[in-house]
Amino acid sequence: MSIEVKNLSFRYGRITALDDVTLTLGAGAVGLLGPNGAGKSTLLRILLGFLVPEKGEGSVLGYDIRREQDMIRRSVGYMPEDDCFIAGMDAVTFTAYFGELSGMPRQEAMKRAHEVLFYVGLEEARYRLLDTYSAGMKQRLKLAQALVHDPKLLFLDEPTSNLDPQGRNEVLELIEDVASHKDIQVLLSSHILADIETLCASVVILNKGKVAAEGRLEDLRVTDLSLYEIKIKGDGGAFRQDLEAMKCRVEETEDKLIKVYMPAGRNPMEIFRAAARTGAQIRYFVKSRTSLEDLFAQVVGVD
Amino acid sequence: MATVREKGYYHWDGKLVERRLPWLPITRTGIMLAFKKRGFRFLFAGAFLPGIVFLGIIYISENLESFQAMVRGSDRLINITPGSFKTFLTFPPVLFLMIAMMVFAGSGLIADDLKHNSLQIYFSRPLRKKDYLLGKMAVVFFFILAVTLVPGLLVYIFKLIFAGSFKFFLSYPWLVLSIVGFSAFLAVFFAFYTLLLSSLSKNSRYVMVLVFMIYLFSDVLFGILQSIFRTPYMALFSIRANIDQVGALVFAQKPSHPVPVLWSGLILGGICALSALVLNRKIRGVEVIR
Repeated sequence: MSIEVKNLSFRYGRITALDDVTLTLGAGAVGLLGPNGAGKSTLLRILLGFLVPEKGEGSVLGYDIRREQDMIRRSVGYMPEDDCFIAGMDAVTFTAYFGELSGMPRQEAMKRAHEVLFYVGLEEARYRLLDTYSAGMKQRLKLAQALVHDPKLLFLDEPTSNLDPQGRNEVLELIEDVASHKDIQVLLSSHILADIETLCASVVILNKGKVAAEGRLEDLRVTDLSLYEIKIKGDGGAFRQDLEAMKCRVEETEDKLIKVYMPAGRNPMEIFRAAARTGAQIRYFVKSRTSLEDLFAQVVGVD
Repeated sequence: MATVREKGYYHWDGKLVERRLPWLPITRTGIMLAFKKRGFRFLFAGAFLPGIVFLGIIYISENLESFQAMVRGSDRLINITPGSFKTFLTFPPVLFLMIAMMVFAGSGLIADDLKHNSLQIYFSRPLRKKDYLLGKMAVVFFFILAVTLVPGLLVYIFKLIFAGSFKFFLSYPWLVLSIVGFSAFLAVFFAFYTLLLSSLSKNSRYVMVLVFMIYLFSDVLFGILQSIFRTPYMALFSIRANIDQVGALVFAQKPSHPVPVLWSGLILGGICALSALVLNRKIRGVEVIR
């Protein structure tokens, strides 16, 4: 297992940031989700060895988070959310510099910097001053510095923020390539649920310092809710009330599509019976897949 | 023949090493970035000028008979003693050149990292706070020692060569230690002074002004207060005067101001302690992820 934490707790003064968190994250790309203040950043801080947990224990790639922080940082690549660079440097020097700080020999770091800059698509601009880089180029550069020492695990914090759609797709492609073909495990923290859905097979949702959901995305989708999309003729007020009385969550989109989230194990025929009882004519009925957004809304308790 | 690789990600087959001096790449990069700044090379070269002049004076002092016409009546001035070395290392223009170098090479050391959020990638490496700070301080050490220790020792060696005897060495056997010790003191003080100010702002231009103005203002304040209160204790307000006092102690000279040297040492030490305190609070690994 790449990351294992057990009964992890941490408080900032009186505020509990993590409360008895127990997690086991395996191979591949894992998404870390949660609203602001959920404890994502604190968890990453602890995993990177910057904060010492008050309670609990854990390991990253087998290294203890309390005692072997240097080994963790040597084996992990970190791509921060903010723009990070050093003024007056070009991309090759910058990437090689951080390779060297990770423990690579100087010559090797320089050679490797060229390779990863080619990989992230900055080969043409690698001798340009970083001060002149666009937002997309800076994102790629951050990925390059995270990859330069060939980490076994990548922590990516909002890797597609501030990018235009094309830039976002390009960065997502790179991350997908790294995660799926290069034998590098990825922990992706993002607010963009679509990114997590695209890249990650597993997800951890934190809420108020606790693990609200954890597991393979497919499993979480199937086990929690069944989603049906319905269109009806006429006023569906009574129909909706009837469904809600059956403990279903009902949402209506702008184009009058009714989304019925039915607890797992319930018979969809109950929807038709409810329609019959309330006199609603069902004109469209499709069993749909619950999205990550649905799952997020359900476990975090927001619409 | 080298293999031509197609574009793609390849695993690195080397082995990461645990460095004995993990701060060294930071220092090397800091020095390299300083030399990239416009005009800094000229300033650095100019900072050797006082040393060259001092060397010239040493040469003249050892060949007085050749320069009779030039030095008539002023031979006492070029009588080389430990005081000459103290004068060289605490000479106001020399200190001013050091401050000018700090303005260009030191003001952005931490301020630029704060501005561009670089601390988080530094500390995501196997690097501790002390390594980071030592790396930054060593940049200042390099530039200060280059214009104090290097010319100081060279001048001392040339003094022995020009004299053709070890008489000067035997008269002042402790002088080499004084040159080394006082140069190290200057390097440490200027490192703390510059890094303190550099950590206070994200704007390196603002730090440049601070580095320059605080040094200058402390001296101006000393002048004003002394003219008002007529007491030598006002020298304690001046960074330059305090450095001069410590220099007098290290080179066994009479202090320029009749004030206990310990007080000057305490003031400069206090600035270093304050700097250490501020740096410890400002440079925090936990800011890696906000």
